[in-house]
Amino acid sequence: MIVSLLARAAHTNKMLIVLYALLCFASLSILWSVTEGISGPYKVTDPGVAKAVFWRQVIWIAAGWVALLVAARVPLNLLEESSPFIFLGAVLLLLMVLMFAPEVAGSRRWFALGPIRLQPSEPAKVAMLLVLARMFGRSDSSGRQLLPVAGSLVLAMVPMVLVLREPDLGTSLVFVAIWLGLVFWFGLSWVVLLSVGSPLLSAVLSFYSERIVDSPWPWGIYLLVLLLALYVGRFRVMESFFLVLANIGSGIGTSVLWAGLKPYQQARILSFFQPELFRYETGYQAIQSKIAIGSGGLFGTSYLQGTQKGLAFLPERHTDFIFSVVGEELGFVGAMLLLGLFMAIILKGLAIARAARKPFNSHLAIGVVTYFTFHVLVNISITTGLLPVTGLPLPFMSYGGSNFLISSFMLGLLVNIGSRSFET
Amino acid sequence: MAESRDLQARIYRGLVVLLFGIVAVNLFQMQIVHNQNYRKQAAHNRQERVRVRAPRGRILDREGRVLADNVFKASITLPSSSISTDGPDSTLATLIDWFELDEETTLARLRRQQESGRGRLVLMNDASMSRLAAVEERARDLPGARVDASARRRYPNGSLFAHLIGYTGEVSAAEVDTAGKFPLYRPGDAIGREGVESAREVDLRGQAGWYLREVNARGRVVGTREIALLEVLPGRDVHMTLSVELQDSLMAAMAGRTGCAVALSLPDGAVLAAVSLPTFDSNIFSRGISSDEWNALLSDPRHPFLNRLVQATYPPGSPYKIVTSLSALENGAASDGTSYEPCLGSYHYGDRDFRCWKRTGHGYLDHTGALVHSCDVFYYQVIQRLDLAQLKEVALALGLGQSTRSPFKGETAGIIPDIEWYDRRFGKGRWTRGVMLNNAIGQGEILVTPLQMAVLTGRVASGDANLSPRFFMEDLSAESAPLPFRPANLAWIRHAMGQVVDIGTGTKARLEAVEVAGKTGTAENPHGDDHAWFVGFAPASHPEVAVAIILENAGHGGAVAAPVAARWMETFFNWRERGEEQR
Repeated sequence: MIVSLLARAAHTNKMLIVLYALLCFASLSILWSVTEGISGPYKVTDPGVAKAVFWRQVIWIAAGWVALLVAARVPLNLLEESSPFIFLGAVLLLLMVLMFAPEVAGSRRWFALGPIRLQPSEPAKVAMLLVLARMFGRSDSSGRQLLPVAGSLVLAMVPMVLVLREPDLGTSLVFVAIWLGLVFWFGLSWVVLLSVGSPLLSAVLSFYSERIVDSPWPWGIYLLVLLLALYVGRFRVMESFFLVLANIGSGIGTSVLWAGLKPYQQARILSFFQPELFRYETGYQAIQSKIAIGSGGLFGTSYLQGTQKGLAFLPERHTDFIFSVVGEELGFVGAMLLLGLFMAIILKGLAIARAARKPFNSHLAIGVVTYFTFHVLVNISITTGLLPVTGLPLPFMSYGGSNFLISSFMLGLLVNIGSRSFET
Repeated sequence: MAESRDLQARIYRGLVVLLFGIVAVNLFQMQIVHNQNYRKQAAHNRQERVRVRAPRGRILDREGRVLADNVFKASITLPSSSISTDGPDSTLATLIDWFELDEETTLARLRRQQESGRGRLVLMNDASMSRLAAVEERARDLPGARVDASARRRYPNGSLFAHLIGYTGEVSAAEVDTAGKFPLYRPGDAIGREGVESAREVDLRGQAGWYLREVNARGRVVGTREIALLEVLPGRDVHMTLSVELQDSLMAAMAGRTGCAVALSLPDGAVLAAVSLPTFDSNIFSRGISSDEWNALLSDPRHPFLNRLVQATYPPGSPYKIVTSLSALENGAASDGTSYEPCLGSYHYGDRDFRCWKRTGHGYLDHTGALVHSCDVFYYQVIQRLDLAQLKEVALALGLGQSTRSPFKGETAGIIPDIEWYDRRFGKGRWTRGVMLNNAIGQGEILVTPLQMAVLTGRVASGDANLSPRFFMEDLSAESAPLPFRPANLAWIRHAMGQVVDIGTGTKARLEAVEVAGKTGTAENPHGDDHAWFVGFAPASHPEVAVAIILENAGHGGAVAAPVAARWMETFFNWRERGEEQR
C-alpha cells in the first residue's frame, strides 16, 4: 500500500519527494558528524552531543515519511471542514503548555510524554494555517476586504500571543509571517495594503535597525524592497510619493517616540524584542557560528573534520545551529547546495500555489511556502549573523521531532495540493 | 483573480530570489572573501598558546642545604576575556558569587591584571582545597575557569640569610621587553630584586617554554599532541659557600644586636657566614605582608633592609693600626722595637691635645706593645714619620678603599683619604697635618665596610694579595699572589695580633683549644656611642678563618665584639673537626 501511495505521490510531484529525501539524507549525515565528535589525531574527552540524537532522528524521519504521505493523501475538504476544531484543539494545547509544562531555562515550551517531547507550538502552525486558509478561501478579494483581514488577524493573534507568552519569540513570528503571506496572497488592493501595512512595518523595522541590531540594513533593505514593489506594481507617482513619505515618516517617528519613553518602558520593550538575547550569553553563539561557517571556505574542512563543531565551540550545533556545521564541513559549495534544495521546494511550492484553482488550496499552499521561506531565511540569517539570535529550527535539518513532523506534514500538503490543481 | 495571483506570484518569487541572494552573497563574503580571517579565528579558538614558566633554580649552602626553593601553589585563573566593558562574564560572576568575594574590589583587581597584559587572570592565589575542588568538579558550568599551578619562592631559614639571598618580586608590565617572539619575562613572572636572587638572576630564572595546545570550547586540553615552540629550561641551582650551621651560630653570637659580622675561610676567601642586623624575613615578599608590618620595617630607625656587609661604612678605629704599623715597617719609619715618648693619656700636637683611649696612659711601650695594647699616643708619633700616600698604599693593598666585588647591589668603596682627597674636601691649605694623627688610629675621614675589614684580616693572615670574599662554590679557584710586603713584617703583625688576644685588649676572644689572633677597636662615631670592632683570625700559626665584627654603638670592642668572635669560632672549629672526620 505504501508503495502505491509512493507511486501515486511520485507520479504527481516527484520533485518534492526527491527534495524531501535529499534533505532527510543531509540531515542524517550532518547529525552523524555532529554526534561523532572530531576524527583525526585528537583524543576527545568531551563528546558533547550523544549518538542517541542521531538514532532518534532516524525514527523521527521514519515518522516524518508517514506524516508526509498522510498529508499527501488526506482529503483536503475534510481538513477544510474540520479546521476550526483543529484550531481550537491547538489553542487548547498551547494553553495547557503555559499552565502545566515544566519550566526549562525560564520558558515553558513542551510537554514530556515519556521520552518524547511534544511542542504544541508546532501543530499550532498547521492549525492556524488551515483555519486562515479556510477564511480567506471563502472570502472574495474583490469585495469587502476588511472583514477577512481583520478577522484573520484576530485569529492569528491567538496562537501568536500564547507562544509569545511561553516565551518563544522566534516561533511567534512564524505566525505573523504566515498571516502576512496569506494576506498578501489574498490580494488586498495594493493601496490599502501598503498604506496601512507598510508604515507599521517601517516603524518596527526602523526601531529594529536602530535599537536591536544597530545596523541600517534591515530598514534600508525594507525601503529598497518597498521602492521596488512600487515600481513593479506600477503605482501612480503621487501614490508612491506619499507612501514612501509615510514610511520614512513613521520610521523616524519611532525614534522620536522612543526618546519620549521612560527608561523602564524602554527596557520592557527591548526585552520583549530580544528575550533570547537577554537570556543567553550575548553574542557568543552568533560569533562562534560565524567563525565556523567562515572558516569553511569553498569546500569546507571536509565531512567529519570540523574543528569548531568537534571541539564544541558551536552551541546548539545539532538543533538551531546545524547550518553552521554544514558551512564548516562542506563549505560554500555545500551551503549553496543546501540553499538550493530549500529554494527549489519554495519555488515549486509557489508554482503549486499559483496553479491551484481552489482558493482554500491556493492559500494553504502559499501558507506552507511562507512557513518554509521564513524558517529557512531567518535560521540561516541567524547563523550567519545577519539577524539576532532567536530560537528557530532549520526545517528537515535540525534535530527535533515536533518540527520535523510538522514540516513533513506541511510538505505533504503541498504534494497533495499539487496533485489536485484542477479541483475547484 | 487569477491574473492578480500571477502578479503576486511574480513579486513573491522576486522576493524569495532576492532574499536567498542576500544570504548567498553574505555566505560568499564570509566563506570565500573573509575565509582567511575566520580560519585564523578558528585556529585561535582551538589552539591555545601556552607559556610554561621555568622553575626557578634553588639556592643551596655549601653542604647542599636549601636556602631558597619553590613551593607550588594552586591558583584559580580565568581567560583575559572574562571581563569586558559590560562587566564579568557568567563564569566570573558565578565564582564571585560562590566564593562570596566582594564584586567591586575583585573586578578592580582583575582589571588591573588585564591592563598589565597577563595571559590569564588570577582570581585566587593559593586557593583552598575546597575551592579548587569546587572549580574542578563544576568545570562544565564554568567555561574558561581553570586551576593552574604556579610556584612561590620559599626561604626555609626565614630571616637568617635575608641580606645575602635577597628576594624576588613580580615583573611589572613596564619592565617587560615585548620585542621578540618569546620575551624572557612576562608580567607576573618572578625576578630577583635583591641579593643573590638578583645577582644570579640569569642562572636562576631558566628559560620559559612556549607550547601550542589543542583546547575545546571549555578551555580543556583535548589534544594529545603539544607542539613545543620553545622548550622550557629549568633554572640552575646556585651553590653558595655559606653554611646554615655557621650562619646560625654567628647570628646567635650577635645576640640580636645591631651590627654586622662576617667570617671568611682561609686561604680561599669563601664566605662561611655573614650577618647584618637587624634583619627581616625573606618570605614576606612572596607570602605577602600587611601594610602595618611593612611600614614598621620601613620606618625602623635601625634600617633592617640595609645590607651592612657592603652598604654601611664605619670608621675602622684601632684595627686600622694594622695598616699604620705595616706602613711604618715597610717604609722604614719604625721597627718592631721602636719606641717614642711615653704615653701619658694624651699627646700635644699643633695647638691641641690628642687623647689616648686609656686616660691614665700606657707609659713606655715599644711598637709591639703599642699594637697589643692599642696605644694611640704611639701611633700619633709614628704617623709623623710617614705620609698619607704611604698609609693609603698599604690600605689599598689590604683591600680597603675599593669594592670587594661582592654580588650585592649598592656596595660602597668606603674612603681612604690622601692629600688630594683632603684638598678636594676642605680646599688646598685649609686643613692641617692634625688629620694625619686621626688617620693613624683609624679615625677621621676614613670609612670602611665590614666586608672590607674581613678581607684586610684575611689578607694579613694568609699573606695572599688576591684574597677576596667568595660567595659561590664555583668561584673558589682563584690564584693567590703574595702581598707586596716583607714576610717578616707580616709575621710580626700576626704575632702582635696573637699577643692582643693573649695579653692585650682582645683577651675575651681567647679559645682554650685554638690560638686566636686579632685586633679590637672602639671607633668614635660622631652620631652616637662608639662602635665596637673586632677583627681576627685563627689558628694564629696557620690561619683557617678570618672574622670581622662590628656592633653599632655598643662600646669597647674588646668587651663586646671579641666575645662574639670567640663564641662563633668555637662552633667553627667543631664544625671543621667534624668535616675532617667525615672526610
